[in-house]
Amino acid sequence: MLSQLNSPPLYLICGLIILFVAIVCVCFLVRAYRAGKKAGMDPAVLKRAIISSATFSVLPSVGILLGVIALSGSLGTPWPWLRLSVIGALHYETQVAEAAAEQVGIGRLSASTMTPEAFVTIALLMSICIMWGMVLSVLFNKSYLKKIRRRGGDAKKGPEKGGFGDMAVTAMFTGLVSVYFGSYIGGFVSGRGRFTFEGDFTPILVCLASAAVMSVFTWLSAKKGLKWLEGFSIAGSMLIGMLTAVLF
Amino acid sequence: MEERKAFLARYETNTHRLGRICTAVALLLLVGAPFLIGRVIGAQPDMMAVLRGYLAVGLVWTVSSVAEFLIYTPMLGAGGGYLAFITGNLINMKIPCAMNARDIAGTKAGTTENDIVSTLSIATSSLVTIGVLALGVLLMVPLQPLLTSPTLSPAFDNVVPALFGAFGYQYFRKNPKLAALPLALMTVLFVCVPSLTAQTSVLILPAGAITIGLAYRMYRKGRKDQKGKNSV
Repeated sequence: MLSQLNSPPLYLICGLIILFVAIVCVCFLVRAYRAGKKAGMDPAVLKRAIISSATFSVLPSVGILLGVIALSGSLGTPWPWLRLSVIGALHYETQVAEAAAEQVGIGRLSASTMTPEAFVTIALLMSICIMWGMVLSVLFNKSYLKKIRRRGGDAKKGPEKGGFGDMAVTAMFTGLVSVYFGSYIGGFVSGRGRFTFEGDFTPILVCLASAAVMSVFTWLSAKKGLKWLEGFSIAGSMLIGMLTAVLF
Repeated sequence: MEERKAFLARYETNTHRLGRICTAVALLLLVGAPFLIGRVIGAQPDMMAVLRGYLAVGLVWTVSSVAEFLIYTPMLGAGGGYLAFITGNLINMKIPCAMNARDIAGTKAGTTENDIVSTLSIATSSLVTIGVLALGVLLMVPLQPLLTSPTLSPAFDNVVPALFGAFGYQYFRKNPKLAALPLALMTVLFVCVPSLTAQTSVLILPAGAITIGLAYRMYRKGRKDQKGKNSV
């Protein structure tokens, strides 16, 4: 079965879809860059945003590659490659694939029990379960953004200035980071029984190491005038944070 | 100035048109792919099993998708929003990436400039992922033992904590008063109900709502103080 799932036609189908999405990304990238320049934004700032995003994305992408490797043993390589290059999310794919395998009656996700019918059913289920973000985007992105901006008071001020909307986004992200921090602390304190302090301490350690390195980057950038470091600060902090997990 | 405003408005309208078309095509390709693959390997999906599976696991993810759309669209703006939902990996990559680019460029959410920076960031990030994954698939045989080695596995298990450590420093430092309450609440919640760690993403919405509520109070207070100063 695995040889069928790793056959050239499957690579071709999945590869062409990935190519389509890559072209869409290039198209949006070029349009946005040109629009930024035309709108009078500093090209150096735009380039810094691009470089920073590129360096930042390398390490998480390697993490996502591990998801492809993990799923390739049961679903072949092309399908996980497609799912995790496009639309999919690392934490989602494995969970849904496992649950879908149960529903199609092959028990657990495994190459030895996989049949062609089970595979296409699992593949369709994986696509349907996570497509709603795209559906909502097509239907409501425009009207939702319009509504949010009106509520944030930005529309009245014109497109260049932010109002409470900007603060709300910062607040939302602060809330999001708090959830993850809280889960790491909760995992350590009560992960192996409430208040036993025997849970996994590594995520907290990694967080602290990464934050400490980030503080050094911020200091170098703000106080020592090394502005160019901003583009590498997140990637550098993550790298040291992840290394801490290996060392301890 | 008027010309610039008109250009930005035109850019936004065209972004929505392009975004809708590209998302619809991508959606069609992704849902159509299993049927096409089925023709190649000689089987078609069992629609009853799909329905059963959707009711069993899909509903949770549908709710999660709706929440993601409501939370992340205002953060990403038009172009970034369409791209992020096509390319996925929002929480572990696209959202932090766009927020980082926003901080670097110093743009404000809700502005077209922020949409531009967010689009640049997410498009770049997606292209890097596509490149890394394509390279990884090409070099799967030599890379697999290295990447899955027990020595390196703790590093890749902790990508998200490393990411949020760096961001936590930036955001908590900017406004510790705003961060203190949600952080304390979430910590208490996870300590008292440890099973919730399996549903972290569900708690983002209430935590975000609490933090936005706090931010609004601070915003109102700031404006009142400012008015008071101006009247003096």
